[in-house]
Formats: sequence, structure tokens, C-alpha cells
Amino acid sequence: MTRYVVRRLAQMVLLFVVFLTVTWFLLYALPGDIVKQKFATNPNIPPEARQVAIERLGLDKPVLIQFRDYMINFFQLDFGLSFNQYPRKVSDIIAERLPRTIVLFLTALVSYYYAGFLAGKYLAWRRGKRGEMVVTIGGVGLYTVFYPWFALMAIWLFAAELGWLPISKFLNPDEWRNAPFTANQVFIRLFMTVLAVSVFMAAVVLLANRIRDHRPRTFAKLGGVALGVVLFIWYWWGTAGGALMRPYAGDIAEHLILPVAVLTAVNFAGIMLLTRSSMLETMREDFILTARAKGLSERAVRDRHAARTALLPVTTSLVLAVATVIDGGILTETVFSWPGMGEVLVTSVSNEDIPLALASFSFIGIMALVGHFLVDILYGVLDPRIRVGG
Amino acid sequence: MSSPPLLEVDRLVMHYVTEKGEVSAVEDVSFSLKKGEALGLVGESGCGKTSIAMSLLRLQADNAVFKSGEIRLNGENLLALPEDEMRRHRWKDIAMVFQGAMNAWNPVYRVGDQIREALDLHFRPRLSDAEVTERISRLFEMVGLNPAMANRYPHEFSGGMRQRAIIAMALSCDPSIIIADEPTTALDVIVQDQILQELKKIQEELGMAIIYISHDIAVIAEVTDTIGIMYAGKLVELGPTVEVFARPKHPYAYLLLSSTPSVTGPRRKLAPLEGEPPNLLNPPTGCRFHPRCPYATERCSIDEPPMEVVGDGHQVACWNWQEVPVTISQEARP
Repeated sequence: MTRYVVRRLAQMVLLFVVFLTVTWFLLYALPGDIVKQKFATNPNIPPEARQVAIERLGLDKPVLIQFRDYMINFFQLDFGLSFNQYPRKVSDIIAERLPRTIVLFLTALVSYYYAGFLAGKYLAWRRGKRGEMVVTIGGVGLYTVFYPWFALMAIWLFAAELGWLPISKFLNPDEWRNAPFTANQVFIRLFMTVLAVSVFMAAVVLLANRIRDHRPRTFAKLGGVALGVVLFIWYWWGTAGGALMRPYAGDIAEHLILPVAVLTAVNFAGIMLLTRSSMLETMREDFILTARAKGLSERAVRDRHAARTALLPVTTSLVLAVATVIDGGILTETVFSWPGMGEVLVTSVSNEDIPLALASFSFIGIMALVGHFLVDILYGVLDPRIRVGG
Repeated sequence: MSSPPLLEVDRLVMHYVTEKGEVSAVEDVSFSLKKGEALGLVGESGCGKTSIAMSLLRLQADNAVFKSGEIRLNGENLLALPEDEMRRHRWKDIAMVFQGAMNAWNPVYRVGDQIREALDLHFRPRLSDAEVTERISRLFEMVGLNPAMANRYPHEFSGGMRQRAIIAMALSCDPSIIIADEPTTALDVIVQDQILQELKKIQEELGMAIIYISHDIAVIAEVTDTIGIMYAGKLVELGPTVEVFARPKHPYAYLLLSSTPSVTGPRRKLAPLEGEPPNLLNPPTGCRFHPRCPYATERCSIDEPPMEVVGDGHQVACWNWQEVPVTISQEARP
């Protein structure tokens, strides 16, 4: 297993270097003279500073030298300075945007995968019944709806008309006027606590799988999950730091509801159909018949045997989708005024802010690679047949 | 002969409803099974063997309809039970060794845990962890597996081992009947024989009744007391295995035995069975075998022959059974 992980990691690094090289040359091959356009004739930069900027950015050097310097700097985690927001550091811009995007889109992703999985499981089981038609038509209808319109209608109904939820943005500025934290600190804390709890739960479940006896194993798993929830509550309600930050976290959470709900409504149908076909395939397997013959109830057959096995392709698609979380979604971010990575990506590319675009693409590339790697590891956990020896 | 039957299948009629019409899969089949008896059902693919097996557990396909007849377990009609009561009989009273036993294990759970699932369901009060482990170990030893294998996943077992483990699982709740549907078809001949012999030994030791289902008459001959020959959804001959092998009375049984080579007997020319089994959407009138039968008379295409007793516990459904020669039987004996 260790050897496998090391080999995969080495492959990932190599692949990433290739990816970065190709992206770098593609972006620098964009038509137009960056030096002239951005700096040599830029009226926003005083003439005496123009030459300094060009030299500082290394734009006066030959392309290959620039490329070499970029690669060296990149692996020292120096992503350079933004062209358009010069002299702001690219890493600062991304550090500002990334947490907001991750919190929103990860929450939405988990939510619509869960909804889609439940709906798909239900559909497969009630095949041919009336409920199937309602859920399928409803789900696919939402899936195909013109998304910005749908989001606007949701804002109009729930925020403007009913006034249940905030209209837009990711926080309420009035409440934050004297806040002792920046929004990003809260975003990061929220993300880290959820991540820590999830990792804890996953670790307990994995360790518990090694217990051979049935009842202690189930007990350990359930206990681990419950303890994770307790730890989360304890942090936000019990500790001084958590309690101080909680109202602000609550404000952000309130702003999350509508975009997450809209993303869920629009996206769950794809997962639902995937789960459904996977379930239908599993239900034709012989072991489903064995489970029935043993006298298990239909529910136990469905949840313990059919759904557990049908989970595999859904998991793959989920982890790969996680990789796309950091590029956010330009439509969602625009409609909900949620300034995140989607906006950064689009504007940096259209304005030829090459260092910013490069860094953004690199993060997506890294996430995709890590996602694929995680899928392989997770597959081994979910399906003992694929577990790697050694 | 005097003990009351454990299981009675009484004039069972089951059809599959399809878009093209009703498929007459099981037609007026009756047989009974005593405690400790080994019954074999033989026939070509699609003759209704597996349909009967599935009906006994009431796990028939969704489009199956029971037209008439009863399946009685200790006098209780299983077909009339509500689903949740039927579930309590599954595995506890009637367990099954499946046709596709290679895939009968869920790949994501340990073998021991899958056996445990049945134990947890059917034992009240529940067995403790120690009792479960001990029971599974005993079952594994009984079928010739290392008890430590219970903590392994199905893909770590060879085909033969998986089949042994399936037998262990079938035995786990002390059922009074085991249905073995093509129990060894997917295995090589040597493992096939080992497993059949062990299954027979265990069955005799524990005094369970067993129903073997196979298309391979030779497999069944070695391990059963009684044999039923099926053709196109009908039971055409039923009798003591020795008797049926020595003196098959139904032309189909006769031809089936003539087309099977004998390993120990003298060399003889095999007589192939001509033609194909009928389409059960539209079965032939009268005797369903008459289009392929060399002894058929006009009557056979009009009237359905009833089961007629022709010897001690030996019944046959044929108008002209007396025409069937007795000669090949000596050679066809396994």
C-alpha cells in the first residue's frame, strides 16, 4: 500500500509539471503584447515606475528564462504578482477568494449528492410505480431549467417576497461592522472544524473496520460518528473562541442556505439518475437474491446490499466533483453576489492577468489530481476487491 | 414410508405474464418430500426446475403468477402467508444453495458477516458474538474450510471454496430443507464430485431433506433417493432413483438416459434426443412431449396423460409407457 501511494504521488507530481508547462505556454502564447499593453503604456502606473514593474516581473527577459523562473518560484510557493492588480500578490487574491468558494460549493456538493443518492435509491426500488414518474420528471425538469432564471426566481420568492432569507452576498455588513474577525477567518474556521470532524469520523470508521467482532465494530463506528458531532458542537458552543465567533458563523450560514438549496435543486437529478442506474444494475446480481432468500426485509436488502454496492460509481463521481469545487461557478457567484474563484478565473483570463490565471488553473489541476488519487484510495476502502496489496 | 411429508407441492401451476402472453412455466406439478429425503429434479434448461425452486421460497420473479395449487410446509400453505411471515420461513426452514453461487456473495462484506446476517435474523434470543463465531467455525469445519477464512472477503476464496462457504451459510440456521439449484455447475469435475459427496454426507448426518436441481442427470443420480424428470413445465416421471435409472417409463426419461454416456457400463452408441423443447408461450396440446416422441399416437396430441402409478412410488405421465423398451437401461446406469 505504501509503495503504491508513493508511486502514485510521484506520478502526480510529474503529471502536474507537464500540466503547468502546457498551461504556461498556452497563456503566454495569447496574442497581444503584454508588456506594452499592461505596463509600458499603462496610464495608471506612473511612467517612472513602469520600467521598475517590467523588470520586477521579469518581463524583459527571454521567454524560456521567464518560464524557468516561474517554475522555480512556483515550487517555492511564490506565484508572482497580479498584472491587473499590480503589485498585489496572486497568493493574497486567491487566499481571499478560495475559502468563500470552498465553503459554498462544498456544502452544495455534499447536499446535492446526498439528495440525489436518496432519490436515486428510492427510484430504483419503486421502479414502475407512480412516484417514480413524479420524481424523475421533477428532477430532470429542474436539471434542465435555465439556471440563472431559476436562481433569480428563488431569490425573488424566498428573499424578496417572503423575506425568509438574505437576498445576496455572503454576510450582512451591518453585523460585521465591529467584528473582531475578518470574514475569511470565519470561513476558514468553519471549513477547518467541519474538515477536522469529517476526518475524525472517517478515521474512526476505518479503524473500527479492523475489529473482527460484529457488535463492537458497529458500536465503535456509531460511537465515533456521534463523538464527532459532539466535538463539533462543543467547539462552537463550548469553547471561548468558538462561542465568540458563532454569531458571525451563523450569519454566514444563513447566507449559505439559498444558494445551497438552489444548487441542490438544480443538480441532484444527475446524481439521482446515476444512482438509479447503478442500483438497478446491482439489483440484478445474484447476491441480492441470496439476501432475500436469507429472509432479510426488503429495506435491509435495499440499504445494506443494493445501495452499499451501488455506492461505488456515485462515490467516484463525487470525489471527482470535489475537484471542481474550487473553480466555483461563475453563474452562481454572479447571481448571488458571492465573489469567489469563479469570478477570478473568468476575469483573469479575459483580461490576460496571466499570473493570476496560471495560479488559479494550477489549483484546479492540483485538486483534480488529488481527487483522482483519493478516488483510488476510497475505492479500496469501499470495495475490498480493489484493495491494493503490499 | 410412514412419516408425514415435510413439504408437499400440490398441483402447482405458475405462469409468467409477459407482453406476448402467459408462459406456462410450471404446470400441475405435485411431489412431496419427507424428512431426510433427497429428491432430484432433472430436465433441460427452461423446463421449470428453477421456477419451482424459487416458488418454494416465494422468490419467484415479479411477473410470476400462481394460478392454482399449494405448497405446504408441515401442512401450512406457504403461498397463502403474508410476506413478513414468509420471511421467517426463509433460510430458517428452507435454505438454498444457489445456481450462480460464484456471485451469490456480496463482494463488499466479509463472508462471516454475511452468514452472521442470517443468524442474527433467525435466532431469538440473538446469539452472542462468541456463539456466532463458534457456530461459523463449526460450519466451516463441516464443509472443509479453515474457520479463519470467515474473516475474509468473497473474492479471496476460490470457486470451490465459495461454494463450500455457501453450503455453510445454507446450513447456518439448521433448515429442515435445503434446495441445491445446480450446486456445482460452475465448478470443475473433481471439485464438483467432492462437494456433492460432502453435501450428501452432511445431509445424511443432519437428517435434512434436500432438493437437488440439475440438468445433469449423472450428478443427481449419485446423491438422491427419489428423482423427478421434468419436461416443459410438467413433471413427467417421479420415482425412486434406482428404479427410474433402471427402468425409465417415460419416453423422455428413456431418451434422456440413452443420450447420456455411461462411464462404467459397456460402450454403446448414444442416441441423441432430437428436436427442441416447446415454446411455453404456446405449449403443444395433449402431452407436451408428443412432437418429439417416437412412441406418440394420435391420442397423445389430444389428451393430457395423467400421472399413473407404475410401481412402488414410481409414477409416470404417459399413455404409452408400456411401449418404452427396457433394454438400454442396463447400460445407462451410472
